[in-house]
Amino acid sequence: MPRGYAGKFLLVDLSSGTWSDFTVEDAILKDYLGGSSLGAKLFFDRYPLDADPLSGQNPLMIMTGPMVASGFPGTSRFSICAKSPQTGIWGESACGGTFGPELKRAGYDGIVFEGASPSPVTLSVTDGKVELLDAADLWGKDIYETTDILKGKDPKLKILTIGQAGENVVKIAAIGNDKGHFSGRTGLGAVMGSKKLKAVVVRGSAKPDKADDERYKAAFKAAIAEVKESALADGLHLMGSDANMDLGMISGDVPIKNWTVGEGFELSSNLSGPTMREKYLTKEHACSNCPVACKRVVKVDDGPFKTEEGPGPEYETCGTFGTMMMNPDLEAVIKANELCNRYGMDTISCGSAIALAMELYEKGILSKDDLGGLDLTWGNMEPVMPLIRMIAYREGIGDTLAEGSLLAARRIGKGAEELVVHVKGLEAPMHDPRGFHGMGLAYMMSNRGACHLQHAVLATEQGMASWPQLFDMKDDYVGTTSEGKAMLVFNSENYGILGNSMSICHYLVDILKPETILEAFNAITGFDLTSEDLLKTGMRDWTLKRGINNLLGITKKDDVLPKKLVTALEDGGAAGSIPDVALLLSEYYAIRGLDERGFPKPEKLTELGLDDLKNRLYQ
Amino acid sequence: MEEGIYMAKVKAMTQEWMDAYKAAIQADPEYRTIAKDWEGSVALICNADPSKGVPEPIYLFQDYWHGDVGEFVVCDKAKAESAKFVMTGDYSRWKQVALKELDATKALLQGKLKMKGDLPYVVRNIKTVNKVIDILGAFETQWPDDPA
Repeated sequence: MPRGYAGKFLLVDLSSGTWSDFTVEDAILKDYLGGSSLGAKLFFDRYPLDADPLSGQNPLMIMTGPMVASGFPGTSRFSICAKSPQTGIWGESACGGTFGPELKRAGYDGIVFEGASPSPVTLSVTDGKVELLDAADLWGKDIYETTDILKGKDPKLKILTIGQAGENVVKIAAIGNDKGHFSGRTGLGAVMGSKKLKAVVVRGSAKPDKADDERYKAAFKAAIAEVKESALADGLHLMGSDANMDLGMISGDVPIKNWTVGEGFELSSNLSGPTMREKYLTKEHACSNCPVACKRVVKVDDGPFKTEEGPGPEYETCGTFGTMMMNPDLEAVIKANELCNRYGMDTISCGSAIALAMELYEKGILSKDDLGGLDLTWGNMEPVMPLIRMIAYREGIGDTLAEGSLLAARRIGKGAEELVVHVKGLEAPMHDPRGFHGMGLAYMMSNRGACHLQHAVLATEQGMASWPQLFDMKDDYVGTTSEGKAMLVFNSENYGILGNSMSICHYLVDILKPETILEAFNAITGFDLTSEDLLKTGMRDWTLKRGINNLLGITKKDDVLPKKLVTALEDGGAAGSIPDVALLLSEYYAIRGLDERGFPKPEKLTELGLDDLKNRLYQ
Repeated sequence: MEEGIYMAKVKAMTQEWMDAYKAAIQADPEYRTIAKDWEGSVALICNADPSKGVPEPIYLFQDYWHGDVGEFVVCDKAKAESAKFVMTGDYSRWKQVALKELDATKALLQGKLKMKGDLPYVVRNIKTVNKVIDILGAFETQWPDDPA
């Protein structure tokens, strides 16, 4: 067994209320590392891919990685994986906070849930002791209430829980860790809710050992020095992820009015990280062992959107509930964020679905009657708050929007689908590919649908990070060009995806030198991988997930950008610019080794040690 | 900008260059509006690089106030370090930024330039920063390592 791992995984059969431990071969750990990469391997090897995502046949996997609980900066992460009820393809969502390291200290590298419980339950894991507890008293409570109740019993417990949205199998439901950290994307809260699994609580005292303590200490010291020197780290600490709002408005990164307007400096000025810091920030907050502390704690003292002190919105939320809705009121964003946190919903998908509803209302496709009397005029935020609740409880129009934007638009009809900005059923995050063409390609090729966190394209294309020592790249890319971007995206995927398998925060991937991360990784695990090995691991991860999606019906026809993203804007930093989709895809397909159908070629699968996948794709 | 004023090449990071830079900013029709909220001095420190013709560090002090431009001088280290914002970098990085081969914000994020000062203030006023850098291209510069 390589070092850094707890050495075992927990398999819980919720249907029978039984559990057992299992192990994973060392060779598989070395090839897949952990996190969502190892989750995909387990999913592929052990489960029926064609299962209904909301059935007991679909496993829910909570996976840490070998660096988690090491104390290395940014290694608080864990990934939750399953077939997505929102998209019907591979689903995964990573999360920071406290849960991952505590699960490792409690004795497990991961937990796999199978089946479905007949009644609400909580899984408790305390220093290797496993219990399934009745959770009838928690069912119906929101994430903040549930967390408070469980921590009231033991303040040292680390909590993972769903809110009402997950219970009601809302397909954009999230899973929350200790109130301020969320696995938001691809609707995995609905999978947890379908299993009647209300919460997972962990507590542990074990310390996974390292292969070489002295070598690790040197790498740790280098990492801390790099964080102290980093302007990106400084900016994230001072302004959170919302530091992007001001900068992105200039470069054409920020979507406005459901992706139809290119510039809005009054919006960005009011919604920006500096504004949040000046007016609403009460303190910064950090995930376990993070010297950056990018999380915000905010409070709104009074007014219609009064909000008690609690976790503040990320940039993505300031986009979906701010610029996307033509809302310049940061207090409304803070309130909407709190409601989504409490009910347990992804703020990207929920905000995007409501922004879509505003556009449908403007165009007369949805009437006030359709909306239960709500006036969803652009920028009118008071009715947004009850609408968030309606989505979480699947009431009225909320029941439709609870399906996610694409499925909701299909249900609404009347041309609504053309107005949805998604790839493979997942709403795009708040980075406009018309300003950054590489991001457009990354959206098309990300294995969970439109995503900014399955790769490092955001960092490399926008110049937040430069790694010429890792692969051939420039310090400064022009966002509004497609030439040369396929190779950048390919390399940025292979490296950036490691954040999810090593379970290290993407911001720390951007901030730290690759050689420092690799040194720490090798010191912890004893694997002694080279950077070439690591990039190959990233390729294997991407290709396996692609193959899973191919087996679920994904082909080249699904690698597309929606109409809005190939329609030029009239103003702003991306005015007149659209990604050259044909060029991007043709170059990328050649580099990635995909055939005309969008399947990995047999020789590529063999090269990556994926012969099992080859056999199933080409049988 | 009035045409034809800055036709001759000006030696980079000299007082003559600072004067030309100041004049170019003052002549820019958009600068005053964009920079109306900016308050405070900026120092640019260029690290020595004898191999590129920069034998000693160069210290430049620029004073900006609500769209007006004040003192623009080559100065000593103490004065530079007294500025509200202090930007430091190697000669080759400054040249890349001036020639628009490297965006200043990206250089900062990648650690190729360092800044002391209120970062949220700079982010809030990033349009002003970009404008001032953009104006660098308004006059011809003779760089120390350019062919004579």
